[in-house]
Amino acid sequence: MSTATDTTDTTDATDDDANATTAPSSPSFGGRSRRNLPRLRHLRRLRHLRNLPRLRRLALQSLLPVALLIAWYLLTRFALVERIFLPTPASVGEAFVKLLLTDNLLNDFQISAITVLKGFGAGAGIGLVVGMATGLSRTVEDLLGPLLNGIRQVPTLAWLPLIILWMGAGDLGKTVLIAKAVFFPVFLNTLQGIRGTPREYIEVGRIFDYGRLRLLRRIVLPSALPGIFVGLRFGAGISWTVLIVAEMLGARRGLGFLIMRAQELLHSDQLFMLIVIIGVVGFAIDAGLRRIEARLLRWKRGFEG
Amino acid sequence: MTVTPTTMTATPTIDVETRGLTKIFAARHGTARITALENVSLAIRRGEFVSIVGASGCGKTTFLRILAGLETEYEGSITLDGLRIDGPGPDKGVVFQDHRLLPWLTVGENIGFGLLDLPKTEQRERIRKYLRLVGLQGFERAWPAQLSGGMAQRAAIARALVSKPRILLLDEPLGALDALTRVYMQRELEKIWTREKITMVMVTHDVEEALYLSDTVVLMSARPGRIKKITPVHLARPRDRENPVFQNLKKELLVEFGLRAKSLFSYEI
Repeated sequence: MSTATDTTDTTDATDDDANATTAPSSPSFGGRSRRNLPRLRHLRRLRHLRNLPRLRRLALQSLLPVALLIAWYLLTRFALVERIFLPTPASVGEAFVKLLLTDNLLNDFQISAITVLKGFGAGAGIGLVVGMATGLSRTVEDLLGPLLNGIRQVPTLAWLPLIILWMGAGDLGKTVLIAKAVFFPVFLNTLQGIRGTPREYIEVGRIFDYGRLRLLRRIVLPSALPGIFVGLRFGAGISWTVLIVAEMLGARRGLGFLIMRAQELLHSDQLFMLIVIIGVVGFAIDAGLRRIEARLLRWKRGFEG
Repeated sequence: MTVTPTTMTATPTIDVETRGLTKIFAARHGTARITALENVSLAIRRGEFVSIVGASGCGKTTFLRILAGLETEYEGSITLDGLRIDGPGPDKGVVFQDHRLLPWLTVGENIGFGLLDLPKTEQRERIRKYLRLVGLQGFERAWPAQLSGGMAQRAAIARALVSKPRILLLDEPLGALDALTRVYMQRELEKIWTREKITMVMVTHDVEEALYLSDTVVLMSARPGRIKKITPVHLARPRDRENPVFQNLKKELLVEFGLRAKSLFSYEI
């Protein structure tokens, strides 16, 4: 949570400050227009204190993860659980070093990452284009809607055997599977976003004689953008999940394969390590997307909790 | 019915002319039809400030939307500068009750919304000029969400004026503002009208606002929407709301309103 909202906070603050300093408080509009200035001054005075709430949030956000770590340590320290079920934090750290140095962890990681990027890129790209076309044209919607809705009802992983049969267990099959999984959330949210563009804004475009392309670029797409980002973030999460599962079911490389191998060899320390890595990477992907979102949607101010 | 100028002796140039304008909305289901406008004929001189007042449902907004070219199906004729109005365009500026600034564009970008075909430097110059006109200098890079209601409405007015339209159409532009801001904005609107010398047509339900700003007040009755009374206002500007003539005109118009309201709110048991 912290990254996205923090960036919004700071951009807002700088924008506000810019206003406060550049606005030569014109006498022509009385006290009302300056209504928001006292708040800005207040903000500026508190600037040196701004780190305080941020630290508080950081502490709050890390509270549970740290507690979990401590519990884990205590459980293993006093041998309350068998090692094979719950390895010590230290041995998981050692497993990481071993995987990294002798087992070419980076190599497997790279393979997984590239597959996800390819699948996500393809799925999100096609989802955006098809979503836009469907959103803008009822004809396209009638043409594609029923088929896509049918395909959507079949869980992604149910396609796996067929895709392996057609494309093998290699990169291509996984990329296609991920692309399929990412396509739907992006497609549906783009469609919804475009259809949700307020009529009132379209009218503003009509008044200024906007053509279809300009209407799309300046009104429809910006209006759909919050929805599109919901789809992208959702899709990114799914793509990582699908990749790991696909690699677990049929692969000779990649993080998912390493998990299966660790299970077969009863390396529970490696198992733990891989789960942490997969979680952290997924978290990082989402945080990155949230940063981009916060930047692109900086005009938006919602309920901040 | 036409608005005949009584004070001006020079031949008045007619800017907008409607003849027998009738608009019927067909309900989506069934055969119910609503006559929003019936036989509305009106002539508006170039540079005139005309207000259209009436109870809600009297078709005044429909009338304005037809003027703006947003409604294109109607009977009768309506011309701007002698040409039939058959669609929206930059010659007709529109200000809505909700400011309709696009939240993802800065105030400056919103004001320059209709200037995309001009060279960048000229865009910037005009945006500056109109920011100044509405007293928003320094807010060019602010987001609409950071503006107060009055400021946002001023930005909307600037956006409508920046492409130099022939006529400015205002649909209850001050309706969403609090009473104090409203009086203040009425003064600002008058200043802008004086400076820009542009024809303005404003829809409002506030009789006093109409009298304060207009050369002509057109009162409409509801169901079907018809012109009920046309009141020319020959008072020096800026107008004094306490002036007895002003007060009398207001009373007259309110009586017309009041009769209507009485039948609306009285009910039988």
